[in-house]
Amino acid sequence: MKRLLLSCLAGLFLASGANAAGFEARPAAPAPGLEAPDLAGTPRTLADYPGKVVLLNFWASWCPPCVREMPSLERLRVKMAGRPLAIVALDSAEQREDVDAFLERMKLGFPILLDPDGVNTRRWKVFALPTSFLLDAQGRVRYVLTGPTEWDEGEALAVIESLLAEQAASSK
Amino acid sequence: MRSRMRACCACGLLVLGLWGFAPGARAALPDDQRFPAAGERLLLWVASERGRAEPELRAAERLAAQGVETWSLDPVDAYFLPQLPSSMDAVPLPDLADWLRAGLKGGKRVVVYAVARAAVPVLRATATLGPEERQALCVLLAYPNLYTVAEPLAEPDYLDPGQLDGLRVRVLQPRRSAATPWLPGLLDHLALHGAVVSSTILENLREGWWARETPTAYEVAESGRLDALLLRELDVMECE
Repeated sequence: MKRLLLSCLAGLFLASGANAAGFEARPAAPAPGLEAPDLAGTPRTLADYPGKVVLLNFWASWCPPCVREMPSLERLRVKMAGRPLAIVALDSAEQREDVDAFLERMKLGFPILLDPDGVNTRRWKVFALPTSFLLDAQGRVRYVLTGPTEWDEGEALAVIESLLAEQAASSK
Repeated sequence: MRSRMRACCACGLLVLGLWGFAPGARAALPDDQRFPAAGERLLLWVASERGRAEPELRAAERLAAQGVETWSLDPVDAYFLPQLPSSMDAVPLPDLADWLRAGLKGGKRVVVYAVARAAVPVLRATATLGPEERQALCVLLAYPNLYTVAEPLAEPDYLDPGQLDGLRVRVLQPRRSAATPWLPGLLDHLALHGAVVSSTILENLREGWWARETPTAYEVAESGRLDALLLRELDVMECE
């Protein structure tokens, strides 16, 4: 019941202007390919997150707004534990040692993927950092955000809840 | 006699007036800060849309002390523009072209150095020069922003800088920039317009490292060595 209420609220919030704070709703379209190793060197693709809403965040450790929004991504991960949301942070065009040095300072529980040569950054046409994509459970891009946000509250949370509500409705 | 003189003066003023309003008339040179030097090289430095920062002026002074005459132009200040990328579209190209010509007149080897979006008026002004004038110039661009549209999931669209046939352009790209993965496309775009392009990656630096709010220790040190970086690049360009 609580979840239903949240979804309704999210719907109302979105109806009143999802673009207002920067989230850009996109016509549902298949996401570009993603092929990047994680920190353990295991190759990852979007197929690793079947049936989940995916928050794909392009970031870099040298980028102050990227670093600023990271704690809210981690809080979102904790808040959404057990729900079908995958948070994936793809480090854009940095060397491994720079990423490691950053992760020494900030402990994050969601997967970090590496894109040292920027292939994925170019494939997703990312021109500014951070840039985030919200994909529905069918792997389609539904929202794009250029710039940082507080992921565990407000519009960001509402947008995520709306996609999770869709996912829940379609899996019934 | 006096009335004839008056008539001549009036004619002269009329001619001057028409000269001033004629299309293609000589524009006013923008206000710059000049750091004279006796050496053979002249650096025409155009600050970014964020305006000229103190470390840039200090670097200009040090360049002059090392024999590189430097003229520092801050378009935002010279034309009372807001500190926005779009302001660079308002920089009068005839003024800038005349400024470049004034630099060339001195007989020194001239390199134009433009930062960020200032690359747009600089390239467009060079495109209006005659072929011989253009080939006498070299251009250094620090992380040039030539996008018209750069939307996620869409191909980048670049501004038309005009024909740059024979213009030698070198791009200085800080490694720590969202634009770095897009450098090959930018160079292709410039080459497509006739420029002879080269580039170098500046390791461990971010865009505008000399004026960041929270610089790294390395960026602070490199801000103090901006003159050395530019001298090195002038040598690499071998602009004759």
